[in-house]
Amino acid sequence: MRAPSIVVLIVIALPLLLGEFWAYQLGLYALYAAAAVGIGLCWGQAGFLPLGQALFFGLAAYLSGFAFIGFQNHLIIAVLMLPFAALASGLLAYAIGYIVFRRTGESGAYFSMITLALSLLAFQIATSWNSVTGGFDGLKGIPGLPGLDDLSDNYYVSAAVLLVVLALAAWLYSAPIGVLWRALAQNERRLQLFGFDTNQLKSIAFGVSGLIAGMGGALYAPEQGIVTPQLAGFGLSADLVIWAAVGGRGSLLGPVIGTLLVGSLSSELRDTLPFWEVAMALFFIAIVLIFPRGIAGLAEPFLRKIEGRKRGRPFIAAPDAPTQRPPAALTLHDVSVRVGEVTILDGLSIDFDRAGIFCVIGPNGAGKTSMFNAISGELSGVSGQIGLGGSDIVGLVPNRISGLGVARKLQIPSVFPDLSIADNLAIALWSGRAAKVQLLKPRLRRWTSPMLEQLQSRYPFLASGPRKALELSHGEQQILELAMALLTEPRVLLLDEPCAGLSPEETDAVMGLVRWAAQRLGGAIIIIEHDMSLVKELAEVVYVLHNGTLLAKGGVAAIQADAKVRAVYVGGEK
Amino acid sequence: MSASRLDFEKLTGGYGGTTIVRGLSGAAKAGEVLCVLGRNGVGKSTLMRLLFGYLPCLSGRVLLDGKPIQAFDPSARHRLGITYCPQERPVFDDLPVRDNLTLMRASRRLGPFRHYFDRFPILERRLAQHAGTLSGGEKKILSFVRGLAEDRPVVLLDEPSEGVQWENILHMEAFIAEKKAAGTAFIVVEQNLAFAERIADRYLVMDQGRAMLEGSQSTISRDSILAHLHV
Amino acid sequence: MDPLIVTQAINVVYAVSILAVLALGLAVIFGLLGVLNIAHGEFIMIGAYCAYVTESRGWPYLVAVPLTLAVCSLLGAAVEWIMIRRLYRRPFDTLVATWGLSLLLRKIAEAFFGPGFRSVTIPLPGTIKFLGTEYPIYRLMLIVVSLAVVSVLVIWYGRSRTGSRIRAMVNNPELAQAQGISVRRLAAATFVVGTCLAGFAGVMVAPLVPVQPFMGLDYVLRSFFVLIVGGLGSVSGLLSGAVVIGGFDSVISAVTDAANGYFAVLVLAILFLWLRPRGIVARA
Repeated sequence: MRAPSIVVLIVIALPLLLGEFWAYQLGLYALYAAAAVGIGLCWGQAGFLPLGQALFFGLAAYLSGFAFIGFQNHLIIAVLMLPFAALASGLLAYAIGYIVFRRTGESGAYFSMITLALSLLAFQIATSWNSVTGGFDGLKGIPGLPGLDDLSDNYYVSAAVLLVVLALAAWLYSAPIGVLWRALAQNERRLQLFGFDTNQLKSIAFGVSGLIAGMGGALYAPEQGIVTPQLAGFGLSADLVIWAAVGGRGSLLGPVIGTLLVGSLSSELRDTLPFWEVAMALFFIAIVLIFPRGIAGLAEPFLRKIEGRKRGRPFIAAPDAPTQRPPAALTLHDVSVRVGEVTILDGLSIDFDRAGIFCVIGPNGAGKTSMFNAISGELSGVSGQIGLGGSDIVGLVPNRISGLGVARKLQIPSVFPDLSIADNLAIALWSGRAAKVQLLKPRLRRWTSPMLEQLQSRYPFLASGPRKALELSHGEQQILELAMALLTEPRVLLLDEPCAGLSPEETDAVMGLVRWAAQRLGGAIIIIEHDMSLVKELAEVVYVLHNGTLLAKGGVAAIQADAKVRAVYVGGEK
Repeated sequence: MSASRLDFEKLTGGYGGTTIVRGLSGAAKAGEVLCVLGRNGVGKSTLMRLLFGYLPCLSGRVLLDGKPIQAFDPSARHRLGITYCPQERPVFDDLPVRDNLTLMRASRRLGPFRHYFDRFPILERRLAQHAGTLSGGEKKILSFVRGLAEDRPVVLLDEPSEGVQWENILHMEAFIAEKKAAGTAFIVVEQNLAFAERIADRYLVMDQGRAMLEGSQSTISRDSILAHLHV
Repeated sequence: MDPLIVTQAINVVYAVSILAVLALGLAVIFGLLGVLNIAHGEFIMIGAYCAYVTESRGWPYLVAVPLTLAVCSLLGAAVEWIMIRRLYRRPFDTLVATWGLSLLLRKIAEAFFGPGFRSVTIPLPGTIKFLGTEYPIYRLMLIVVSLAVVSVLVIWYGRSRTGSRIRAMVNNPELAQAQGISVRRLAAATFVVGTCLAGFAGVMVAPLVPVQPFMGLDYVLRSFFVLIVGGLGSVSGLLSGAVVIGGFDSVISAVTDAANGYFAVLVLAILFLWLRPRGIVARA
């Protein structure tokens, strides 16, 4: 663990190297950097962009200011209130996230606009609520931290807080929750289908980012002695985004580098160089469009050398899957779905047995994928009942249905491309097995299960841990996604054209895997397929869908002999 | 309208990382209909989208009168003389039937459509209605008429008869025959064998993205086609 | 009728009409193209500064209109080509890209005009007796112009060839391409129309507000709220959103103060997002 010690050494040495003035500057910007790390967490990890981050910084600053002014004769109490100021920001952020993400679902744009509006509103309130906040001129005369004298003392306190923030972020990024955040940014729908409540994950990310911004803000008040509305307003919010982006939003230290380098330089150069601000804006645009890894991206090869090679640590056995519960029968009863004028499913009724391999076929537009979407809870306006093991699942959200033991492999291979193969598989293992609190423990990343070991011996590429999933060929990605679905040990497995676009060897491999899975899991495997040779090989029962309803069911031979089926496939004269 | 022919040689392509169509070759000569048959999922629509430029070709060529066009985008291929009627979403739901017919024409007059309205009076009755209110078969008829009225030398139709009643299918056959006589080349994807048999000069039967059977109407038997169509 | 009530009523009508025109550009770009142009407010700012420049050069006020249209169309075309082209129907990605643009435009305005407020004199000063009360002429004229602009645009969009082709492109871009519509060019032209509408709105409001580099923020947020409350992609959505937001804001601001008005609008927008996410006029 060499990198953190180097960072700490640098932090301690800086004031000695740069002198008092710069120590003061950097101390101030270290507090801003804490807020910028929050942006890195939301944007760089979880993929959504808060445009009003200063709200949490400023709120904590005001609260802390009130505490220090109110308890100026017993400053030690004010110091004890500091964490609560930060906590207030964190809770507010979580609440906002909860309210907004619940409804806007996957549209991060709406979230960004609302956080922007909230920051402007906070500025308005801080400016007009004169009696409490001191209005536009701000809250003045805030006493400093007890026991500190010169400027560099403040620096050490700020630096310590920043280091705590970085330690917290580093822990979260390497914990399962960090992996889930990054997965969310890459493929939110897929993560929901693994049973994870993505809205809550985003709210937690936002809450943590509010908390660490609040930590910076809370310290600002006693260190600077004055809190103005600008600390909660748009200007600072915008600057934080720029610093986080330019420094490198995806890395841990990127936002810090951006704030300390660009932020503190800007405050010096802004007055001397006339077009400095314009140049910064252009630089920001270039970073966002062309080089999102920012300054930290340039330093990456150098940083990697400092970090050294990670030693492989031994694997840990995962707990048993909760689906040591009995297989469940999936039944659809009179299921209908209309979208506008179009009827997608029309009184569809099917009883799948609790175990076996079943194939669903039918012409285009027959409703096959729509049926899967209805089962996994991704269609709205579903009438009728869909029963899993006796209970109706219509109206449940997708991640709850996954939690009940329904796994799905999507038509187009859908994994987490920028995550390693090991992380992809780990997510599947955590699904349904990891309690929420466990997601904070980095050791969960080393989980393995007997099924995973068996899969890895069948397909060695699944064991090439650090490789990114996007480096795999199309066929390998199909198998990876299938493996991930199997690892959740589902009661019902929905496969949507698992062999699409595969070579004959790859197709054989997948078919073998499906048969093995049927034996191993003992549940139902329902496959949508067009390729009749596969259907003949695998299917115990075949269901033919047409115009959103069930046309025929039976063994392969029976289906082939059925005149109605023949008419649908060959067409006829009316 | 001058006559043209469309050829494709060893076309391979698909979506994203998948290859769906492999090594397909064929041609539609002026005044001829090439029917592409096969169960769904075998790649018929993918072939059409490769021919019209919605998908890039991984390998192979598309030639219009001998000139390669596989680098051109759909609107360019339209300008060069190819009409395309897609299988899914064949009309503009938000526009009235009238606008669907005349959107890209020089004038908004409906005179040239008289001929089509006589056989398909339903279109004339619903000129002012939004096309989204039409039934599936009616939309297909609207798309068919729009396409043929473009008077282009090459016409690509993807399942024109889907949802259409038999009497109207026979009208479609008549219009196609008229156009053939005038020199138009057709490539028609069809699921309905009876219709295909009435219009085709040549067949291309696909399975698993490849050509299984290929040849003129006279050389391919109905039974061999059925074997590939049925489950 | 009590003249005070008449004045308030006209104020509400004014607030709604001006909001409709301010939001129109974003309604076109976000509603039709799926692009969240957060620099929408900055295009309004450009219009306002064009009005300022026009006045400071002693030109007649109306010259500001062609000046704005020239600047906004060139800038809009450049932005579309550099940033937006590959990002249609991706609200988040376009938001991030245009956020940088809005920053750049604000900084350029600050560099050229300084960070302070500028004011533009009202071209039609004075009041006129209207419905029993004295009301500023310029505001009345703006109401008329706003309604005219929205009506003309609606009629043009619904009846003209190009309007139909834009509707076709929005509804079914693949089929539009199939029939020979160059979707790329039409989308770019639509984007430029959106930025020009924003600039034009800026020229309209310039005499009534302080012209400064940050003026656009408030407008882009309000326009966004109008669209989420009213619904994307239709004129009735734009108008109903303007009525709700504009009406609510002016009533609450009149009764309490501007900060409360803003707060109320924000709460309303979040409520709509919570209860009716597709807006009042939800389209399929």
